[in-house]
Amino acid sequence: MYSRELDGETYTFGVSGKLWRDALLMYDHQTRTLWSHITGEAIKGPLKGKRLKPLVSTPQIAWKTWLLNYPSTLILSVPTRDGMRESLNQDVYADYHASQRAGVSGMEYTDDRLPNKSLVIGVQVPAKDGTTQFRAYPLTHFTKMAIINDTLGEVPLLIFHDKGSFATAVFTRNVARDIRTFSVQDKHFVEDNTGTRWNLITGEATSGKEKGTQLERLPAVNIYWFAWARYYPETSIYR
Amino acid sequence: MKNYTLTLSLLLFVTFYATAADYTDDAIRTLLPFDAIPAITDPQFVPANAAKLDPDAPIIGVTFSGESRAYSLYLLNGHEIVNDVVGGQKIATTW
Repeated sequence: MYSRELDGETYTFGVSGKLWRDALLMYDHQTRTLWSHITGEAIKGPLKGKRLKPLVSTPQIAWKTWLLNYPSTLILSVPTRDGMRESLNQDVYADYHASQRAGVSGMEYTDDRLPNKSLVIGVQVPAKDGTTQFRAYPLTHFTKMAIINDTLGEVPLLIFHDKGSFATAVFTRNVARDIRTFSVQDKHFVEDNTGTRWNLITGEATSGKEKGTQLERLPAVNIYWFAWARYYPETSIYR
Repeated sequence: MKNYTLTLSLLLFVTFYATAADYTDDAIRTLLPFDAIPAITDPQFVPANAAKLDPDAPIIGVTFSGESRAYSLYLLNGHEIVNDVVGGQKIATTW
């Protein structure tokens, strides 16, 4: 999820049909620069070296859970093309997701710290020295507990994954100038060490004097390990 | 005229049968022509009560300035990108 605004200009994006590091490249209609949709970086063309601003989103969640939390949501309707309606309730990549095969190029992946097709939550935060810190949180950590309180570099993080709705979110644990620690209450509701209750789908406090306050959400992705490790080989893994 | 089924078949074919032999690290490889997978530039939306999506189907959710949108991942498989404006924020939803 990226902003389409960059340096005061607005861009629209299409699919280039080209691959780089095993992922499709986008291009912008205005300059035909090629952009990585994994990193948001322009890798070829007039805007090479520029980077799109990542925006926060819920990268995946069951429709019913989203609707419950955002009842006024609109939903993308099914386009009609060549007189044919697209299939709305079918995953054309189901076989790929179910297979052991990594990527589309058939290349060998060598980072065997995790199995290639392990799903991880990929997180990146800036460090004080201007570099970026990367950490992968394997979804297997969330089978018993929906949250992890962690610190990556200087940044206290709350990592959330609900196995029921497949919702993922990453928040900072900084609230009103202190660092909170969270524990699970039920489903996607947690309580922090001051007694405030939070909904981690919306990121909003639901009780106490902080009711309505928002946790600061960070960009998060659900991604296969092989792809995360290919783009960010320096990543650490939460164990 | 673009053929959606052909495009996806081709993509899946290449996906399954491309070999490591022709892979050069960090090379840009052309798999399909530009726009063979058509990004959405004029997205149309319906309210939730008009949606026909399976309640358990996966979506990408965004919310800006009180406006919320859901994009079905199954639809995004065939489009990869939605160019949208949500709550005044110009966004590219990518999958």
